[in-house]
Amino acid sequence: MSPDSGRQHFQQALAELEDSALGGLDLVLEQLDRVLEALERQDVELAQLVIADDDRLDGRYLEVHQGILSLLALQAPVAGDLRLVAALLHVIKHVERMGDQCVNVAKLIPLSGHEPPVQSEILDRLVQMGQFARAEVVQCKRSFAERNVPMAEDLLARDRDINRLNREIFRLAIEAGDDVDVREWAMIMTLVARAFERVGDNAVDIGEQTAFVVTGLFREFSDASHVAAT
Amino acid sequence: MEPTTSDADAVSEARPGVSASAGLPKALPELDKRAQDAATKSAIFSLVDVCVAYGGVPAVEDATLDLLQNEITAFIGPSGCGKSTLIRCLNRMNDLIPSASVSGKVLFYDQDLYAGDVDPVEVRKRIGMVFQKPNPFPKSIFENIAFGPKVLGMKGNMGEIVERALTRAALWDEVKDRLKTNAFGMSGGQQQRLCIARTLAVDPDVILMDEPCSALDPISTGAIEELMLDLKAKYSIVIVTHNMQQAARVSDRTAFFNVDKVQDGKRVGKLVEFDRTEKIFTAPSDQRTEQYVTGKFG
Repeated sequence: MSPDSGRQHFQQALAELEDSALGGLDLVLEQLDRVLEALERQDVELAQLVIADDDRLDGRYLEVHQGILSLLALQAPVAGDLRLVAALLHVIKHVERMGDQCVNVAKLIPLSGHEPPVQSEILDRLVQMGQFARAEVVQCKRSFAERNVPMAEDLLARDRDINRLNREIFRLAIEAGDDVDVREWAMIMTLVARAFERVGDNAVDIGEQTAFVVTGLFREFSDASHVAAT
Repeated sequence: MEPTTSDADAVSEARPGVSASAGLPKALPELDKRAQDAATKSAIFSLVDVCVAYGGVPAVEDATLDLLQNEITAFIGPSGCGKSTLIRCLNRMNDLIPSASVSGKVLFYDQDLYAGDVDPVEVRKRIGMVFQKPNPFPKSIFENIAFGPKVLGMKGNMGEIVERALTRAALWDEVKDRLKTNAFGMSGGQQQRLCIARTLAVDPDVILMDEPCSALDPISTGAIEELMLDLKAKYSIVIVTHNMQQAARVSDRTAFFNVDKVQDGKRVGKLVEFDRTEKIFTAPSDQRTEQYVTGKFG
């Protein structure tokens, strides 16, 4: 009656699938680090590398997706195993989306020109947003791996910091002055901010999947369509 | 630990790892609706603290659960957990075993099934049973079906009674041209459906099925499962099955029994959890159910 007995091959396959899906978050971290560096240094070549490397994340998505289909077809998982498989399908989709947001940022970097009219109060906030998003990705991975619901729920509080910076950047962009080049750069930076903000949202979504795996009930940590004051 | 017989309650129950202040998950609307359905359905059987013992040694203890009308209830659990013993209580099959004793209450439509004035023959007419191995009589297909109604002195055209039973068992089209042939000439799956038709012929309220598909191939198993889903509109069904996927496919509610080791090395079956099948196979409340359905023991 030991929990370790029975269906060991299946349990191993499921654990490998989880490792593979959560490992996708490590790839996201690499992409985030590089795109942040490219943004700070206006490094167009590094940005190109980020775009090219998105294939690795897309590949990981396809690999985990196929693994999930196989497991459903061949092993008919139920109960906690079924919840984990369903959650991994969401996790890998969010991983893929986070990768796409890094690509979105990377594509915006060359648009701002060779020597953009950088406003440090905007750029500093963007870098901070990126770092917050990075911390959220680390936290969502750990909360899922450890099945730690309080840690997953804490992501919502972390995400509020990102949302606050996003609003500040938007306001600063509006007030960026009359110079057309500055205004254009600032507009592009609001799009960058938007991408980092979405990465944070995806991390919160993965936190929701952690809670689903543990409790068996899906609930949104925050309700975007009925927003309370934050 | 007490068995979990929750419905809506379990959905709002706090769970490990979730602090109460975090805001408890709300039940999904769909689940709420089903819980309400359950509340409005009437119980055909109510079991209260049922214990069955053979020669004084308990085989299953403290089974308390309601089986609802027009539903399929599955009993699952490892060998020796008492699920077959318990289903045999529901039409007093254990009466045939001299050493068997039943305590607690088995209420059928709120009447004590084991009261002194209850006729066991009437019980088995109202509560039919289908066994693991198809067991047709060594007679023609027609006579297999007509036997019960004749013995019970049922009125009406016997040809019509036989046709109706065979039709309900989804067998009529296959056998209508050979009703006079011996039932042993049928395939295993057909024989099992004949046994179901034989049960239906005496117009029961409940059909008990003790591993009805374990001797059948997948095609015949599929036919029986489809038949069960059709029959539940008119009958209530209880099925004991070793096949968890079968329980998941056909049943509305699932009862999980487990073997509890008691003192002196004796093993006794206990009801661990009874809930909607969907709940048992997606988010069971009890850790032992989780381990069993995910194949981690048993």
